[in-house]
Amino acid sequence: MEKHFHVREHEVWLPYRFSVGPVFHRFYQGLKEGKILGNRCPKCGKVLVPPRSFCPDCYVDMTDWVETAQEGELVSWVLGRKEFFGMPMDPPFIGALIRLDRTDCNFLHLVGGFDLDQKENLKKLRTGIRVKAVWRDDKKGHFLDIQYFQPI
Amino acid sequence: MLSKVAVVEAAMMPGPESAENYLTQVYRICREVLDKAGITKDEVGTVVSASSDVFHGGISCANAYYWDAGAAFLKNASRQDGESLLALFYGIMRILSGRYETALVLGLCKGTENPDNDLITHFYTDPFYQRQLGLNETFAAGLQMRMYMDRYGITEEQCAKVVVKNLGNALRNPYAHVKKKVTVEEVLNSKPVLEPLKEMECAPKSEGFVALLLASEEKSKKLTDKPVWIKGFGSSMDTFYLGDRNLLNGHLNKAAKQAYDRAGITDPRREIDLVELTEPYAFQELLWTEELGFCDRGEGGKLIDSGITQWSGGLPVNPSGGVLATNPYVSRGLYRAAEVVLQIRGQAGERQVDKKVKTGLAHGTHGFAGQFHAVAILGS
Amino acid sequence: MGRAVAVIGTGQTRHGMRSEVTYPDLIREAVLAAFQDAGITPDDIDGVVSGTMPSMMEGVALTHFYFADALRSVGKPILKTETCGSTGVSLAITGYYWVASGLADVVLVVGSEKMHEGDSQATMTTVAEPLYQRFFISGAPGAFGMQSKLWLQRYNVPEDKARDAAAKVSVDHHKSGLLNPYAHIRKEYSMEDVKNAPVIVYPVRLLDVCPNSDGACAVIMACEEKAKKICSKPAWIKGVGYAGEEYWIGDSDKVVWESAVKSASEAYKMAGISNPRQELDVAEIYNPFTFQELLYYECFGFCDFGTACDYTLKGTFARGGELPCDPSGGVLCTNPIGATGLIRCAEAALQVSGKAGERQIEGAELALAHAMGGIIQFNGVMILGSKL
Repeated sequence: MEKHFHVREHEVWLPYRFSVGPVFHRFYQGLKEGKILGNRCPKCGKVLVPPRSFCPDCYVDMTDWVETAQEGELVSWVLGRKEFFGMPMDPPFIGALIRLDRTDCNFLHLVGGFDLDQKENLKKLRTGIRVKAVWRDDKKGHFLDIQYFQPI
Repeated sequence: MLSKVAVVEAAMMPGPESAENYLTQVYRICREVLDKAGITKDEVGTVVSASSDVFHGGISCANAYYWDAGAAFLKNASRQDGESLLALFYGIMRILSGRYETALVLGLCKGTENPDNDLITHFYTDPFYQRQLGLNETFAAGLQMRMYMDRYGITEEQCAKVVVKNLGNALRNPYAHVKKKVTVEEVLNSKPVLEPLKEMECAPKSEGFVALLLASEEKSKKLTDKPVWIKGFGSSMDTFYLGDRNLLNGHLNKAAKQAYDRAGITDPRREIDLVELTEPYAFQELLWTEELGFCDRGEGGKLIDSGITQWSGGLPVNPSGGVLATNPYVSRGLYRAAEVVLQIRGQAGERQVDKKVKTGLAHGTHGFAGQFHAVAILGS
Repeated sequence: MGRAVAVIGTGQTRHGMRSEVTYPDLIREAVLAAFQDAGITPDDIDGVVSGTMPSMMEGVALTHFYFADALRSVGKPILKTETCGSTGVSLAITGYYWVASGLADVVLVVGSEKMHEGDSQATMTTVAEPLYQRFFISGAPGAFGMQSKLWLQRYNVPEDKARDAAAKVSVDHHKSGLLNPYAHIRKEYSMEDVKNAPVIVYPVRLLDVCPNSDGACAVIMACEEKAKKICSKPAWIKGVGYAGEEYWIGDSDKVVWESAVKSASEAYKMAGISNPRQELDVAEIYNPFTFQELLYYECFGFCDFGTACDYTLKGTFARGGELPCDPSGGVLCTNPIGATGLIRCAEAALQVSGKAGERQIEGAELALAHAMGGIIQFNGVMILGSKL
């Protein structure tokens, strides 16, 4: 007779309340107004988006706020058709890194605005193509107030 | 630091699911390595374990749970979270401080008890930005892979070859989890996960209990006639936000440089005999071989094409099957070190490579697209 | 026997309810303060040690990634040490071994916690594994309450004497908190306030326990050569001790508490201390519960077992006494768990280098720092002194 050990299933649920801080707070306000805000390091001049409380290189407070461009270049992307925990929208979706014009870092977001099931559409996605933010009508102060970046 | 601390014994458990419970497995791996070394638990000076609360059954303060099972009762011992090679480094420091002659280093991860690695790595994100976009390690790796292929013309076939090689190598490894003969075709046709990544290019979720016994120079000579010396090690951390990083030129070469400098290695391609690196996504093996200096930038694909990194090649990479075959997230780095130890001692059984192994490199990484890297050089 | 190591700078945040900043910003506050105190730059650092309570309490897993920039650890090797409540002292011990080994000359050690972002008692309940103990545990107060009762019974200490002594600890430490600009709770209480506070788990009442605090602490350690060059008053690490017991709570004696006794004696041996009450000038004890501190006085050899209440009521361990304990106000005033043990080390370092401001104990030259962790499972001790 085969020995069989039991398996016990268990779920753990824990609540959290994160402090948003003034910088992300202002960024979210910007999203509500249809703006993408970044800020500039007074020491090295880098413009980072989303904005930071301090420049990771210089470790000084980032004080100069900037309204960034809403257009930029596609740096990289992934195409997902399977569900996974925490995914930003139902599949199929395209997650991407985008270099918004005149900023110094890549912006993590989504690419869309076309039928993801059409192969010809996907073939048009290439590093360096230009994309532009498309906003939702009802904005909540969340990254997904920008519905996606659409190739232009 | 050269040659003052050695690994005198190593023990590991297989990757597939075991019906045994976590604590018993912790006990057994310690028991095994102590028995092999002929040393009692009380004679061991200190213990440094590596584990991560989230990477097993949702028990916080995991070190509390396994403290006595892990041979640390009433000892001055400690624990590293996340990367098991850090437990190795901390164990080395404790011996070099002069206060301990021996250190037991443990990697403890029961992968079958944790949720999907993608679910867990999703929580590496900050709650305000990257979490809202659903980032996890696979998502980040997919972005990195496309950039890698675009920039250097690495092909999907070359990435798939890593899977063929490593899962094939795993057939010789009794501890491996996933082991089979596959073709490039099968890899390319496996289900897309987050394109360009395919299912077979992503590591599984495995169990992993591994123990290394370290000893000072003097003590090593008493415990074994085949000490494996830690010649050098290094590690480095990258900046947090994915968009701020250069995903094709991360911190692996900084970590490697620190290890090479300490070990006095100037030409890794010639001076390293064998490599065990952590490649949770197949393409990363190619990228890491470049950053480790085994070939020029962009030549990772050519390297695998050359055949030199095959089990029977001139510079075997992952003769154990690597992480694509066995992926106990937290302990996988230490498994790499254990594999190198076995290869140097000629104790790797069927997976023992033909060429003589005098110096080996063990590598561990975790975090989005390899935010953190650790490298150890071991030698006979 | 390894190199000598000293603390050459410390930094702390204003501990308390810090909802106006994000967690990385909180860490940066402490790190900036430490660099300023030590008078060095991040380029001078060879490595960074960080740690917090478990990921479940933080709401972010493997926080060393998220904190990489705030910790100034980009481009550096790191160690991530976590041992539950004793994390703070384990972090300091990690920094010590790193420098003592010769593998780094200068190391930054950072402990942090943002208690208000997670649910600490819920997390503590997950320390108990789901197969047996989780059904019975009622967070930390349950276990500590049991320990106190056992201790009182073993030594036939009358309950009201113990109650008075514990209340005095609370009164004294809260008073000291008023002298500490970083402390969370800065409020004075009377003996009556403490003895009549609401019961949590008998005999432990609300004012017998620590608050939930947000806070971070950063400590910079250096080897002898660099410490002497950079710092005018290094706080030398003279002794280190640590021990952990079994996981199953019933297994060990928690009254003659083995890990507490052993961690202290290991540290004393290294530091050459044979009569701690006489030789130590300050003790920063990890005391989330007043009754437990009384037990620590005995386990650390400050007085014989069963006599802590007498000595406490005499004032031996108060500010003007023979061995002032927790002149910073201690854990009863401030408890950001992942940082708390490190704050004890920082406070001890400040005391022996004469930098403790209004809370300075005159002439302090030798100090003990301590942290406890798990469900009464771990104890770590570090001795710091002004002389090498």
